[in-house]
Amino acid sequence: MQHAAELEELGVKIREASRFIEKSQEQLSRKIIGQREVIQRIFIALLVNGHILLEGVPGLAKTLIIRTFATAMNLKFQRIQFTPDMLPADLIGTMIYNPKDMEFYPRKGPVFANIILADEINRSPAKVQSALLEAMQEHQVTIGSQTFVLQEPFLVLATQNPIEHEGTYILPEAQVDRFMMKVLVDYPSYEEELEIMLQSATTAVDKPVTPVVQPDDIFRARALIDRIYVDQRVQRYIVDLVFASRKPAQYGIAALESMIEFGASPRASIFMLLASKAHAFLQERAYITPEDVKAVAYDTLRHRIRPGYEAEADNVQSEDIIRQILQHVPVP
Amino acid sequence: MNARSDKGPARAGRPVLFLLFILAVLLSAGAARGGSLPKVTVALAPDTVLVGDRITCSIRVDHREGETPSIEGIDSLSLKPTVLLVRRQASTAAGAGNRRVSFEFDLAVFSRERQSLPPFTVVFRNSAGTVVKRIPMRASNTVFVKALTDSSMRELRPIKPPLRPELPLSVLLPFFLTIFGITIAVLLLLFFLKRSVRRSAEKIDPGQVALRKLRKLSSRLSGGMPPRDCHEELSNILRSFLENRYRIRALEAVTQEIELDLEKNAVPGIDNIMNLLRQADLVKFADSRPELEESRQSLQKAEELVRAARTEKTEPDK
Repeated sequence: MQHAAELEELGVKIREASRFIEKSQEQLSRKIIGQREVIQRIFIALLVNGHILLEGVPGLAKTLIIRTFATAMNLKFQRIQFTPDMLPADLIGTMIYNPKDMEFYPRKGPVFANIILADEINRSPAKVQSALLEAMQEHQVTIGSQTFVLQEPFLVLATQNPIEHEGTYILPEAQVDRFMMKVLVDYPSYEEELEIMLQSATTAVDKPVTPVVQPDDIFRARALIDRIYVDQRVQRYIVDLVFASRKPAQYGIAALESMIEFGASPRASIFMLLASKAHAFLQERAYITPEDVKAVAYDTLRHRIRPGYEAEADNVQSEDIIRQILQHVPVP
Repeated sequence: MNARSDKGPARAGRPVLFLLFILAVLLSAGAARGGSLPKVTVALAPDTVLVGDRITCSIRVDHREGETPSIEGIDSLSLKPTVLLVRRQASTAAGAGNRRVSFEFDLAVFSRERQSLPPFTVVFRNSAGTVVKRIPMRASNTVFVKALTDSSMRELRPIKPPLRPELPLSVLLPFFLTIFGITIAVLLLLFFLKRSVRRSAEKIDPGQVALRKLRKLSSRLSGGMPPRDCHEELSNILRSFLENRYRIRALEAVTQEIELDLEKNAVPGIDNIMNLLRQADLVKFADSRPELEESRQSLQKAEELVRAARTEKTEPDK
């Protein structure tokens, strides 16, 4: 009973702490129409210190979403357009010589912000990608001999265009694995498109977005998320899902055995649990249910399961594999 | 008598002389034929080819020593319908004071039907290179050239009549009929087997099974089973019942998905079912510890739900 009471108390705190989500969503809805899934995923990543790889054709308001999100959350935003001639120094910064005092001073790059939009990350060579991914992983950057800790919260949203691959440097699996989620940005629905058209086809000035959140709200939410209860059954369910991507035959899906070149890494289990916790927080719950796990399963597993040659021949995508896994692994 | 006897031997010698005369004529003719040099022999091989194929023209010239034969007319063939491809020549001794020169020409023929060798001339030169003799030749040898397609053909040729099977129909028909009969029998057997299996499965009422399990669970709860475990078991029994009764995927689905499926199937009493499942979820995932009385009430509600579902008249959408 004691534990149940604790959870109830935590639930109350979560309900209070998650009010800023509602406020920021109000602000976002002034500019963004639809794309609720994407916005929810950005919240999840921000709440559990993850990063997101966004994939979608151009013109789906990816930049607008992130810019508006940063404004509403009162966070510093930087958009970095990745190009083939980019250098790591263009991203993290460099040492500049000052002839007056004959000293080198560090000049910080655009990575020193709270929310980074790494637009078309696959346009730059591996050394630039590595520089960003290192900053993502370590939350710190070294310029010359000085190490600078990046300001928290630090969220990277990298975009990839799924259509054009010519002249791109595809992110290696090891680097893609560092992204907590890979979110697919889809076209808006018919009604949403209608609304977007009517709202945007005007010469009037855009409705301003007011910052309604303080960084402390995010840190408080993070502390509460860490306390969210995860039952052993749910823990095992997450591990079962990840294991089913590695050894599908053990879970009665032998047909997937030849379809998967390699399954999800241990990072998948970690990020799935974190994302499930954040999802439960957004649902104002103090515990995780399998619903939370299923809700984030596609986004956390999509880029970690690589379909094999047979799957490609049969046009089986990683989403189809995840669907099969979710349908066959018993829910606790 | 004597005179008659004198004439007798003379008359007997006349046939002998006649035979000798014939023999001498034949020999002289043979000698004249063999000895009248130069002699030219022409051969063509093969006698039938396809358009564009190669034929070999062999010209053998027997001549006296001191003369050098050559062929004119064939060497200059370079245009269709006959094209000279290869030319070979060999000279050998052919008896006392005679020689034999063999010319071989490989020709490609391009015209159709019967073709004769073009006219040619055998030219003899002395050691000084002066032409001493020219023998114009028109060989009677021919070659038949077949076209790959007949240009005169304007209609499709009739196809060949179908081959008759080696085995007569009277033998094959019973064989095929037997195979057909066996196939039909196997298919019928499978059909009846499947139907009987389905019927026997349908006979098992999921409601009855669920009620039996719920009663067993109730007695275990009375026997000291922790209420927490009871709720978990109750959730499994309900899910299994819903899956078999409404043909939905409930064992691999989360509560939210079950709710959607039940709504889709317009199942009556969804709220009560969902309350029970959510209560079980709280026990399973939120570490909720229900009282014994709560568990008993939940079991009772579950039994009522299953009974109500069994008495439903309308079949749910499948």
